[in-house]
Amino acid sequence: MRYLLKKLGLYAFIAWAALTLNFLIPRLMPGDPVRVLIAGSEGQIDPEARDAIAAQFGLTDDPLIVQYFHYLADLARFDLGVSLSNYPVPVIDIISGAMPWTLVLVGVSTVISFLLGTGLGVLLAWRRGTWSDHVLPALTFLNAIPYFWMALILVLVLAVGLGWFPYAGAYDRTMFPELSAPFLGSVAYHAALPALTIVIGSFAGWVLQMRNMTVTILGEDYVSMAEAKGLPGRMVLFGYAARNAILPSITGFALALGAVVGGSMLTEVIFNYPGLGYTLFQAVSAQDFPLMQGLFLIISLAVIVANLIADAAYVFLDPRTRQGA
Amino acid sequence: MSISSMIPRSGKVRAGLVIVAVFVVFAVFGPMVAQHDPNATSFDMLEPPSSDHWLGTTQTGQDVFAQFMTGARTSLLVGLLAGIVSQVVSVVIGLIGGYLRGAADDLLYILTAVFLVIPGMPLLIVLTGYLPSRGLFAIAIVIAITSWAGSARVIRAQTLSLRNREFVEAARATGENRMRIMFFEVLPNMLPLVASGFLFSVIGGILSEAGLAFLGLGSLTTTSWGSMLYFAQNSQALLAGAWWWYVPPGLAIAVIGAGLALINFGIDEFSNPRLRTGSRVRRAAPTSRAAGGDATAASAQAAGTRTADAEPGGAAGAVEPDDADAGEETAPAAPALRGSEMEGSPIIEVDGLQVDYPTAFGDVHAVRDVSLTLRRGEILGLAGESGSGKSTLTNAITRLLRDPARVVGGEITYRDSEGRGTDLLHLEDRELRALRWNEIAVVFQSAMNALNPVTSIHAQFDDVIRVHRPGLSPARRTELATEHLERVGIDANRLEAFPHELSGGMKQRVAIAIALVLEPDVIFMDEPTTALDLLVQREVLDQIVRLREQYGFAIVFTTHDLALLLEISDTVAVMRHGRLVEYGPARETYVDPQHPYTRALLSSLADLGSLA
Repeated sequence: MRYLLKKLGLYAFIAWAALTLNFLIPRLMPGDPVRVLIAGSEGQIDPEARDAIAAQFGLTDDPLIVQYFHYLADLARFDLGVSLSNYPVPVIDIISGAMPWTLVLVGVSTVISFLLGTGLGVLLAWRRGTWSDHVLPALTFLNAIPYFWMALILVLVLAVGLGWFPYAGAYDRTMFPELSAPFLGSVAYHAALPALTIVIGSFAGWVLQMRNMTVTILGEDYVSMAEAKGLPGRMVLFGYAARNAILPSITGFALALGAVVGGSMLTEVIFNYPGLGYTLFQAVSAQDFPLMQGLFLIISLAVIVANLIADAAYVFLDPRTRQGA
Repeated sequence: MSISSMIPRSGKVRAGLVIVAVFVVFAVFGPMVAQHDPNATSFDMLEPPSSDHWLGTTQTGQDVFAQFMTGARTSLLVGLLAGIVSQVVSVVIGLIGGYLRGAADDLLYILTAVFLVIPGMPLLIVLTGYLPSRGLFAIAIVIAITSWAGSARVIRAQTLSLRNREFVEAARATGENRMRIMFFEVLPNMLPLVASGFLFSVIGGILSEAGLAFLGLGSLTTTSWGSMLYFAQNSQALLAGAWWWYVPPGLAIAVIGAGLALINFGIDEFSNPRLRTGSRVRRAAPTSRAAGGDATAASAQAAGTRTADAEPGGAAGAVEPDDADAGEETAPAAPALRGSEMEGSPIIEVDGLQVDYPTAFGDVHAVRDVSLTLRRGEILGLAGESGSGKSTLTNAITRLLRDPARVVGGEITYRDSEGRGTDLLHLEDRELRALRWNEIAVVFQSAMNALNPVTSIHAQFDDVIRVHRPGLSPARRTELATEHLERVGIDANRLEAFPHELSGGMKQRVAIAIALVLEPDVIFMDEPTTALDLLVQREVLDQIVRLREQYGFAIVFTTHDLALLLEISDTVAVMRHGRLVEYGPARETYVDPQHPYTRALLSSLADLGSLA
């Protein structure tokens, strides 16, 4: 378990780095957010309110280190400040309202995309040298399509053109949010198109990685041995080749997840999906800096936790990491 | 293989280069060709493509074609800039960390991990949210800051593996300074990685810029593909059906991204030959050692002459260039084939076998006209230097030849204890699977790689028993596995161990035990002891000989170590350039070698004192 403990330490550090980055960004970026805010308000904010707003930010004249400890103390109390665009709603409340939508949407579509992509990658590797090789350029193209454009096209064809799906929102506005079958059905129905966008936008990457890795692994001696053992092709492929080829996909999860999260944020914007990405977009548009930072922090922490889960899965899948347990 | 021989052959790379070239032309010349100012509004609002507006107009009457071309310039510029900056950062950080090791590496590794895990797009959005003015350059730098980490990690790993290579050691020994070694010795050896990282950074840069601009967070004064989509989206171009407005920019991003990724395919396939696709050389030969060796064998062979040999009928399709110059072999010697003296019924008969590897330079004949007979209980030692074709021969018999190797002539027959023959080369998959391990088992060259690293020894015994003896209960299967493990001198409590928990010698013995578990008639052992140190080698050999006495299976034992073969084999076959040059009882071959090559091998052994 030393491997996992080491990883745990690393992620704890990364989480701390994310906290600190979040603290430093508004203080180190060129331009004073408060001045940007006042300039952006077109005279609606009285320049004399400047100090009050700066205090809201925690941007006081105290030394940086004192500000930092105030910041950490606030965080410990889950106090992320107050939203400026929805004054005086606390940032944490806005985030906790948006969080479940993103967690479910991005979580489910990432899992689907990973399973679909790796499965297809194994299949393409197994059938390499045939028609399947011609699928590769098409997948490369698919992988390069920007999420938001894919979302636009899907909205146009499936929502506007064919009318199969709603093109905005997370549920039917006439319904009252509750834990009932019709409401949950409406949620699933509204999530289908954004989820489809994220899956189509991200699965090709998994396919390409898994295919290349499986092709490489198929050349290993232990795969030859499995073949020589007279095991059925299915067993050789899944028990030996794919079982080993999936390991780099899992360690590469961090990289891919970051891209998926970024892409799904854009997807949320297009679908007006009330998740973290859409909220972040609105916060940036409204120059609601406390909300922006709170969101950045929460998204980073969520990705860190997802990576930790991926690493735990890795320990489960690769006995070599369990050495010295 | 050189770069020049590879790049033009890959259709994917060619397509990628063409795509990228087209977009570069767009970016450079497009804005000059456009007849309109991309920002000039007009009263031709939302018009479809026409001769005046090649790609129609926007809501405010701007020319989409002019915008598209300007957008190409913006996107490529940002992509290129972000790609260069992020690649420079990742090379410097990866190289320094990987080369210097120690505290610097730890720090840089953690720094890389931080940027790798913190999601780029939100960070990008937050950073640009704070930017007071969003110029192209600032956007590109911010993109680079959020995207260097993945590539840095790859470069660090490669540096770690290169830093102890001979050429780096040599440079260190001559007292070159560290910076010079890093950037002039190590860096040039990972250019494919750097190039591939650069391509992905450019793609990432283009995508990120488009995403930001689409959110209205890009450079507000510059037209880019992303900003086109932003305005198209905001003025309901989709609902208005103005496809000419929103289709070109999105498609362009996808196409250029695919183009860059296609070029990267070429780089990947260059550094990892197994990934190659296409009709001719589908994958590199089973292992590079065999392919490379066979290629040299064949070219040497081409310089030799045709030997007067039996079995002319076996030569189907293998045309020999016998008009070549005189090579190193001055006097062609006839092969000395005395055959096996063993009693007992034949178990494997190879007749006139020919195996070719098609390559870009013509067919390489890896096995030429080989005939031999293995009898029950016999130990046949197959000797020959690397590339002599011995592994290709055994792989042909066990049907483990990998693409592109092809059996182009000859027959291989397996005979069961009643003498019924089975044509091994034309066996259906299902029948072949039934025969495998039941009758023909294999012990691979290096047990380090022959055992599945992620499953336990138990699982690797169990799958083969379960498949071939479906009636056995799990308890009985475990019993069988334990019994065979103990038979090779490994304690039963190691059954649940994973391969990485065993020493090299133990792994090799486990591989032998797995080979024995179904009590096959014949076991192929491909240099089973080469990877072991001498003492362990001896133990394993003794074990093999003892087990043979116990079970009575036949062995085909491949090695380049002739001394070892003569000691344990009943019969010896010596291969050279894909042919059998000597084939006969071990004792006679030792006392009275017929072929000059065998004589040369034996006398070199005598010089070394191996047979003393």
